[in-house]
Amino acid sequence: MADHQNNLQNHSDQTSPLIEARGVRKTYSFGAVPVEVLTGADLIVHPGEWVAVLGSSGSGKSTLLHLLGGLDRPDKNGGEICFDGQPISVSHGKRLDGYRNKDIGFVFQFYHLLPELSVFENAMLPGMVGNWLTNRSEARKSAGKLLDSFGLSHRLAHRPGQLSGGERQRVAIARALVNSPRVLLADEPTGNLDAKTGEGILDLLAQRHANGLTLIMVTHDPAVAARATRVVKLANGCVVQSSASE
Amino acid sequence: MCVAMVVTVVSVMTGFLDMLKNSGRQIVGDVIVSSGIAGLPYSDEFLVDLKGLKDVQGATPLIDTIGLLRMPYPRGNQKEVAHVQVWAVDPISLATVTDYANDLYWKPAENAAAALAMAEDDPRKNLSEKILTDGKTLIQSKTGNPGIALGIHVSIGNERQRDGSYRPRYGWFMPENDVTLTVVPVSSQGKIAEPREQIFPVVNEVQTGIYEVDHNRIYIPLKEGQRLLRLDEAPLYDLNAEPDGQGRYPVIGTTPARVTKILVRAKQGVSANSLRAQVETAYASFSKRINADPTRNASMPDYVNVLTWEQQLRDLIAPVEKEREMMRVLFSLIYLVCAGLILSIFWSIVVEKTRDIGILRSVGASRLGVMWIFLRYGLVIGVLGSALGVLLAWLVVRNINAIHEAIGSDAPPTIWIGSFVLTGFFAIGLVYAIWRGKLLRILLWLLATLVMGLIATFLALHHGTLIWDPSVYYFTSVPDQVDWTTAWTTAIGGVVFSVIGAAIPASKAADIDPVEALRYG
Ligand SMILES: Nc1ncnc2c1ncn2[C@@H]1O[C@H](COP(=O)(O)OP(=O)(O)OP(=O)(O)O)[C@@H](O)[C@H]1O
Ligand SMILES: [Mg+2]
Repeated sequence: MADHQNNLQNHSDQTSPLIEARGVRKTYSFGAVPVEVLTGADLIVHPGEWVAVLGSSGSGKSTLLHLLGGLDRPDKNGGEICFDGQPISVSHGKRLDGYRNKDIGFVFQFYHLLPELSVFENAMLPGMVGNWLTNRSEARKSAGKLLDSFGLSHRLAHRPGQLSGGERQRVAIARALVNSPRVLLADEPTGNLDAKTGEGILDLLAQRHANGLTLIMVTHDPAVAARATRVVKLANGCVVQSSASE
Repeated sequence: MCVAMVVTVVSVMTGFLDMLKNSGRQIVGDVIVSSGIAGLPYSDEFLVDLKGLKDVQGATPLIDTIGLLRMPYPRGNQKEVAHVQVWAVDPISLATVTDYANDLYWKPAENAAAALAMAEDDPRKNLSEKILTDGKTLIQSKTGNPGIALGIHVSIGNERQRDGSYRPRYGWFMPENDVTLTVVPVSSQGKIAEPREQIFPVVNEVQTGIYEVDHNRIYIPLKEGQRLLRLDEAPLYDLNAEPDGQGRYPVIGTTPARVTKILVRAKQGVSANSLRAQVETAYASFSKRINADPTRNASMPDYVNVLTWEQQLRDLIAPVEKEREMMRVLFSLIYLVCAGLILSIFWSIVVEKTRDIGILRSVGASRLGVMWIFLRYGLVIGVLGSALGVLLAWLVVRNINAIHEAIGSDAPPTIWIGSFVLTGFFAIGLVYAIWRGKLLRILLWLLATLVMGLIATFLALHHGTLIWDPSVYYFTSVPDQVDWTTAWTTAIGGVVFSVIGAAIPASKAADIDPVEALRYG
């Protein structure tokens, strides 16, 4: 608990937090038995941080990340998640879509690319679905630049099925970054890759982090977590421990 | 596809109705005044009144009764008899109310080009102007005798050709023959008197285009009709006086000739209904005037029927109208099938693409955005389908007579031989597919070969069948105008139903929860 307090105070005096989750609860009721996955998780992330969320399987890491990314909502009266001082968990419809589209980028363990679209189209997807007036040429430019810097410029027209896992994950990261979000949420981005390829992905993230991107990364691998600037641990539905890794 | 069907069928039916209504007007005028069997006296004076009305273009008196027509055929003593609807008319004024003069079938070609267009054996090539004038006056100019004009399908003598022209059959060219008409006069008390018959030379034949009419009606001069039916002028006897030596009563005047119907034609742009009202008022004041006149020997009947042509032809029009509406309803059910089809196809797409939709939602696609993807396809399918449907229907309807003709005649050898060649080609494809050992391809080629083979065989064996039997339908040609109101409503309906069909899966897609979709995807 002391650590937790410490965490709250550590950065608050430097900058205002970018993401702020307070007392977040999430219960899955599958059938008659409710499963309380998060019982009051707190997490504050400041701009420029790279936070790794560690935890055993089933501890609710993915659940927390989904909540932070606006893909899911906390329970009723189950706390609050704010982005840049604005609560997202009370937002509805449009606002939440815009949040997912512009403010954050999400990377999944299993890439989740659209198989019918080319690599390039996948990467610029957020630029296409955003809203009616999104600037496509901008998305096009940005997707091209990202894929280029990820070493994928020769595979633009390929389908995701023709790529290796590492390449797919890079496409997924390009997609997450195409609208220049302020935060990247990554759920075990290396979990499905061999160590060497995972290392490459982490290098890529590190480079983005160096350019000022805020990162929140879920992993169960302490070695991966070691790349982050701060590691928090999830147990019993709470963020129980955190430490600066540097 | 569905749209094409609805539009074609309803167009033809509507064309039918329009044709029916149009020709109905051409045949009976706009408004019909009809009295009972006793007839209307003083019709000449009433006609003068009618023609004085500002909206009346023309009016004509006639007697409408039934009769028996003894035909000149077969050769020998046992002549055939047809029962006919007898119209005793004044042909000159009739032509101002109906299309009578134009409907006369036998006439020489109007110009050299028209003559050239006629087939070699068309009897009209050798007709003189006289036959037309005789028809227009109902007088045989050769003898000066009153003549008769027959509906073109009254006698067996006319055989309709594919191009719609007629050839004499069995050598019976009617305008060179006499027929005997028998009618039964009915007294004003409703008593049937001795039937009377008269021989008439056929002067021409009439083609109104409505089979019912052309098959039954004959035209004779009004005077003859009045005489045969005892509706002509007659001496009026004083039954209260003493009869003379031969038992005759003294004559104290004459009763006027009578007619049973008066047809009235409205001026351009005047509705039949408004004319009907005018005619009704005109009759009321006319009958009041006559009945108040003590010098008249006959009084006007109190009640006459004044009907518009639509009311008059109700029996003819109503069933077709009903049929069309039924078709519309039945075919509209096809809409539901289309919508259901789109719904189920889209539904399975949504189910299959749940994960992808989840991805779209996770990168920020809104519910509406996801919904719009599917609605858009529904819209595109609807618009494209409707456009194609209307186009197809338009092509079919505009060429319906040609298509009908094509179905009606033997398939040209090139087509069925071509079909066999195509079948052979498919068979080669089949052999190749067997050689390659691809099961799906074998199946597809097999299907194509079989279907094409069947089509080819059918075409080769096909010998013309006429679908459009003019004795079943009213008209001698198929209407070929697209009913645009129906086309538009059907097309819009098609679009709406496609979108509705797409909307349900689209809302399901919009309701997909990204986390769920990605977890199980
Ligand atoms: N939709 C759901 N319905 C019911 N239970 C769920 C649902 N989603 C997650 N859970 C449960 O919530 C718990 C936490 O799941 P979560 O995916 O967040 O774990 P995790 O920490 O990411 O695990 P892993 O490291 O294996 O990915 C698990 O016990 C899981 O069974
Ligand atoms: Mg997980």
